[in-house]
Amino acid sequence: MPVLKDKELRIVGFLCNWCSYGGADTAGVARATQPTDLRIIRVPCSGRVDPLFIIKALFEGADGVLVSGCHPRDCHYSVGNYYARRRLEVVKQFLPVLGIDPRRFEYTWVSASEGQRWQQVVTDFTSQIHELGPAPRLEDAEPLLKLADMALSSLHALGTNRNAPLAELKEAIKAKLPELDCVIGWQQGYDQAHATPLFMTTPEDVDKLTWGPLNVMNPAVFLPQFKGKKVGIVVKGCDSRSVVELLQEKLINREDVVIFSMPCEGTLDMGRVNSVLGRYTRIDDIKYDDAAVTITADGKEHRFCMTEFAQGKCYSCVTPGAVIADTRLGQPVPVQPGSVTPPELAMLDAMTLEQRLGFWKGQMDRCLRCYACRNACPMCVCRDFCISDSRNPHWMNQGESPKDKLFFQTIHALHLAGRCTGCGECQRACPVGIPILALRQQIARAIGQLFDDYKSGMDQNAIPPLLTYAPEEKNIHEREWK
Amino acid sequence: MRIGVFICHCGSNIGGTVDCGKVVEIARDYPDVVYADDPMYTCAEPGQAAIEAAVKEHNLDGVVVASCTPRMHEPTFRRTVERAGLNPYMFEMANIREHVSWIGKDKEANTNKAAELVLMAVEKLRYNSPLLPKKFDVTKKVLVIGGGVAGIQAALDCAEGGVPVVMVEREATIGGKMAKLDKTFPTVDCSACILGPKMVDVAQHEKITLHAYSEVVDISGYVGNFTVKIRKKTPYVDWSKCTGCGACTEKCPSRNTPDAFNEFTGKTTAITIAFPQAIPKKAVINAPYCRKLQSGKCGICAKICPTGAVNYEMKDEIITETVGSIVAATGYDLMDWTVYEEYGGGKYPDVITALQFERLLSASGPTGGHILRPSDGKEPRSIVFIQCVGSRDKSVGRPYCSSFCCMYTAKQAVLAKDHLPDSQSYVFYMDIRAAGKLYDEFTRRAMEEYGSQYIRGRVSAIYPDGEGSYIVMGADTLMGEPIEIRADMVVLAVGIEASAGAPQLAEKLRISYDHYGFFMESHVKLKPVETNTAGVFLAGACQGPKDIPASVAQGSAAAAKVLDLFAKDKLESNPQIAHVDIVRCVDCGKCIRCCPFGAIEEVSIRGTNKAQVIETVCQGCGVCVATCPQGAIQLSHSTDNQILAEVNAICQS
Amino acid sequence: MSRIRFTAANGLSGFLDFLSKQGFTVLAPVEKPATAKPSVVFEPWNKGDPVNLAKATVSPKKAVLPECETLFSFSKKRSPADLNQFELALDARPEAAPVAIFGCRPCDAAGFPALDMPYLSGLYADPYYKAKREGMLIITLTCDTGCETCFCHWVGGGPTSPKGSDILMTAIEGGYVLQAITEKGQEMLEKSGLEDGAEKFAAAEAVRKNAWASLVPAPNLSRAPEALKAVFNNTDFWIKWTSKCLSCGACTYFCPTCYCFNITDEGSPQGPKGGRRLRSWDNCMSSLYTREASGHNPRPEKYQRMRNRVSHKFWTFFENWGSYLCSGCGRCITNCPVCLDIRAIVLAAIAEAGNADTRDAGK
Repeated sequence: MPVLKDKELRIVGFLCNWCSYGGADTAGVARATQPTDLRIIRVPCSGRVDPLFIIKALFEGADGVLVSGCHPRDCHYSVGNYYARRRLEVVKQFLPVLGIDPRRFEYTWVSASEGQRWQQVVTDFTSQIHELGPAPRLEDAEPLLKLADMALSSLHALGTNRNAPLAELKEAIKAKLPELDCVIGWQQGYDQAHATPLFMTTPEDVDKLTWGPLNVMNPAVFLPQFKGKKVGIVVKGCDSRSVVELLQEKLINREDVVIFSMPCEGTLDMGRVNSVLGRYTRIDDIKYDDAAVTITADGKEHRFCMTEFAQGKCYSCVTPGAVIADTRLGQPVPVQPGSVTPPELAMLDAMTLEQRLGFWKGQMDRCLRCYACRNACPMCVCRDFCISDSRNPHWMNQGESPKDKLFFQTIHALHLAGRCTGCGECQRACPVGIPILALRQQIARAIGQLFDDYKSGMDQNAIPPLLTYAPEEKNIHEREWK
Repeated sequence: MRIGVFICHCGSNIGGTVDCGKVVEIARDYPDVVYADDPMYTCAEPGQAAIEAAVKEHNLDGVVVASCTPRMHEPTFRRTVERAGLNPYMFEMANIREHVSWIGKDKEANTNKAAELVLMAVEKLRYNSPLLPKKFDVTKKVLVIGGGVAGIQAALDCAEGGVPVVMVEREATIGGKMAKLDKTFPTVDCSACILGPKMVDVAQHEKITLHAYSEVVDISGYVGNFTVKIRKKTPYVDWSKCTGCGACTEKCPSRNTPDAFNEFTGKTTAITIAFPQAIPKKAVINAPYCRKLQSGKCGICAKICPTGAVNYEMKDEIITETVGSIVAATGYDLMDWTVYEEYGGGKYPDVITALQFERLLSASGPTGGHILRPSDGKEPRSIVFIQCVGSRDKSVGRPYCSSFCCMYTAKQAVLAKDHLPDSQSYVFYMDIRAAGKLYDEFTRRAMEEYGSQYIRGRVSAIYPDGEGSYIVMGADTLMGEPIEIRADMVVLAVGIEASAGAPQLAEKLRISYDHYGFFMESHVKLKPVETNTAGVFLAGACQGPKDIPASVAQGSAAAAKVLDLFAKDKLESNPQIAHVDIVRCVDCGKCIRCCPFGAIEEVSIRGTNKAQVIETVCQGCGVCVATCPQGAIQLSHSTDNQILAEVNAICQS
Repeated sequence: MSRIRFTAANGLSGFLDFLSKQGFTVLAPVEKPATAKPSVVFEPWNKGDPVNLAKATVSPKKAVLPECETLFSFSKKRSPADLNQFELALDARPEAAPVAIFGCRPCDAAGFPALDMPYLSGLYADPYYKAKREGMLIITLTCDTGCETCFCHWVGGGPTSPKGSDILMTAIEGGYVLQAITEKGQEMLEKSGLEDGAEKFAAAEAVRKNAWASLVPAPNLSRAPEALKAVFNNTDFWIKWTSKCLSCGACTYFCPTCYCFNITDEGSPQGPKGGRRLRSWDNCMSSLYTREASGHNPRPEKYQRMRNRVSHKFWTFFENWGSYLCSGCGRCITNCPVCLDIRAIVLAAIAEAGNADTRDAGK
């Protein structure tokens, strides 16, 4: 049955059984009058609240979501609310990029004795939601198709790295090859202008190895399937961060992996390259100079300048060289200090919430749910057991609405919180060019801001911020709300 | 599924602001609902019988009761459905009283909300599955934290019931606040005479192990199997050798040591035995005042000790105990009354607390039981008692009543007259709260037989009159006029607060505490002894202000709860715990890292590593479930699908 | 009257408008701008919408096989007459409004006859498919050149192939020549009022000829079915050729001939919106595709799944229906995140089987 028209809005509460649910009871016993909008779901602990419940509720029609748990230090399970605080804060910082007002979600702490405080929390939150009014729905949003401005500065020189010592690299791989089951790298794909992964097992295979801005794929995605076998991998800087992350999560063993690296000066955004090339029957030639790749197709020359045609992620790249490697070749690429907001994220930053909602509506409309984004992601370790197509748990239905499709993107993004290295494979793999990397970039930015500039994939021994906690959080100020 | 729904009127508690009949009508159309009714009192015997009958008649396999909070009656109704032949977990509750009828006045909105809460319960129930508890061993040993009268009573009752007891007391002697009292109300019998034998019983009982001068540092585990780390603070005296002869205290040259036991009304020595009836009667060195420990020069006590017990090198020791249950009886402390600048803020020597006055009354106190002014050692002629100093006073953050001050003030007025027949006492009070057995009669006696003058009103200021006495300025609100009384001594009935360190201990016990540090009972009325952590019980003033009879009663009640728990050889685990779907698990180890209890381990299943929940260790918090990306770990009775069903019920309807 | 018509380039929207007025929902290719990769998708056309006649990123198969369609909705309501009884309601509506696909390519059009075989042949015709297919009008734009990733001419089609089309359209200077292929196409062209284009047909034919001339000659695939049969159990072969596959479903979802689906029930019969039985695209690259209720999976490895896909397209479908389940559009290659090339696998299988033959002969 619908909420009472003009009287109530839809507010979902997740309350821990021990403190806040008791606090709500205490308020009830004290006959502490409250607005009637809130519907409470009792959970054992605020730590039980999967951040996806919040997004799910907001996507499915809630106008506001409130989570309340025991005060820090007072958790019935000692530390459940510490975990909750980190995860819930990340969600709060994630909501705006989806086009959802972050004030529609609050979390707070109310103890079982604090009936009056509970009354105040409910009253204040309900009036906050009423001030915001009914939540705009993705279904109703006006689609907005907008392009990011790619003319950006970068933190290191973007080039073709044509002088990289490929021959030396091949020798190094050949020398190691006898000890390894295979070495993963790149070779020419269906034509000269496209690369494809290469699995080297013989010296002849090694001769096929290529290096340059066409090597867009992240070979780390293949590593977990070789767990237990000895494999080599050739990496760009960004790929190496995925390797570190896989090591950190013990999905591969360090002693089983031999890492070969050369510095990367950037890779091409093949989507844009392909759209410039258009329809052609054959590639006649491909030439590299320091700054650009020139591809001649059907007699027509196209020059792709790296500063213009690099992948979005390359502009903000701070790891052109590998973070971890056994064999390093080539000259390091100097990186300027500072940070650059990646282009798609910068575009979203400049939009209003309403525009963002419309943007995602317009983008997700054409998603076909092929899950190339998921399967190309080196950190998607659930593989064949993703909750997106499971019935137990049944997070998603098979409907085709942009809402369902965007919900999958939030699943992916939130599951990558503190794990995404920004390799951008999700976006690169998307056949219909939806800029989904921006969602992951927003989470990574929030994680960095909240947890001492934490960057995933830099240190194999680091503890990911969402898998730990601090009794006092330096950068989370949840008490400021109430 | 075949679901029955029962919408409770709870008399007019719910029925008054929720149209229960309409909720029934709406609920009849909910998925899988085949029966709905609105009994007057569902929890009453006929109500429960009706549920049982409906289950049988309509072949129900799930029941929803919409009534009060599940924190109250969920266990009741689980038993009901179990009697009807269902698994107790095929039951859900919708809280339409505390969360609906009692907090909203709009009947239309309440009815609508109640119906939605019922829908949520129904939708969740459709994903419920029968759960069966596991049995596990229980360590039949109890830890009692605090050796005041409540803890002593709990320990003795448990020990008498055959349960080994470990008692931990922070001070060097047990006895708590009661040991400091001279007499007790309303009988005016000697406190030491009634408490003393009990303290001796504790010392002598073969089932009781006493760790005095010790503190709990860490508690892990769960009901039936708690592991407790206890720090035995160093007394610098080997208690196995100390006979309590007191020779050291006589010779100790550091005679200016503040005497905490006497509430700082007198001085004592650096090595000391708190009072003659102390249990254990062992010497303790107060390190900051010990010349040997501070400057290395002295060592007299070591020389004088006939058994060679003094050891300046002694260090704190951590010991570990395994117990099945814990009774917290940590008592109270006085609030810091010096915030009351108008009463001198501690500057006037003859303005003292009631507990200090108690020490002056005591024969074992600093004055040998004579009421003498701390300033000049003279007997006061006029004594003013002020009640509610730090009780029922929002301005100092103490809005609650300390409960027993009215009575002890009356007692002290009586005793003052006994000790000093020529004296006159005045009592400033807000209300006389004398609701116990013989209590009101007692306060009447103080007024009528002992001539204590009771003045209803607050004291606005105390100042010295320049002649060694004080002027107490107040208002007599019955007469409606200001009043000034010259007093030789002023006794403040200082309000109480939770004992220092109570919140920290609560965190170790994983129990809740309120604003003031008092521990939260499981239910204010029906579970005053239990806490929200199974196996942890409360006794005495740690739960809230209490006088001696109430503390003793609660100590016995806690003991009864412990004995009840230990009456079973095996305990049943809460089946609402996490389970791993090994097909979905990819062994990423995130759950293992996050589990607050170390309840998840990595095991090899047919050659592949998988996560596995240790069932007796899992407490059912669900942090792992929110952590597992592939949804491979699920918390029974709070699965993703169950919560999603509730979310969808709210959002999609 | 001639079967050939002509329209100037600026007359196209008038023609589309005419089709709309005939009761068709016109699906036309529109461009979705995106920073990374602009894509062209088929969307219902409304008067004034700009059309982009580049080869679409996505095939138009959703006209007959929507990404997700409601087969029927169901609800359960308490009977007003007897409160103890329930009334079940099932609402199945296979009927569909006629759709005109405008501006697809010959490979797209050729996909529909391939889909017809499993959906319309045999004992049971799929009513949902049938309803959509029967009302359909397909207006195909011939390709003016070949393309690196296109291989329509390998599998019996070509840049100007009329297979599956009702009207074949060729861009010439100044406009488009429209050629009726079927009676339905003819009828529409007659009603359209477009000018006769007979005299311009020669120009169109020249363009078509050039398109064929631009093609790289096709290898002979006639041995593909037996070669795939021969290498089926050659695990090493399949592992080698599929090691880079990511097991996503891009190749199948962009394929004009892949037709697999999954069926799920969503919602609740007593919920406010009732329940729905959905048919949505499924893909054989996913582990879930063959995972059984018991948890057993006959194709747990990605090489098994890719083997199934290639073998189905070039061997078993051919065996059952006499044609390849592939129209050579090349979308599986261009949309593959790792540029996996199905042509290379088929050719390698033929070569491998040939080698095996040689080895066997030598025995």
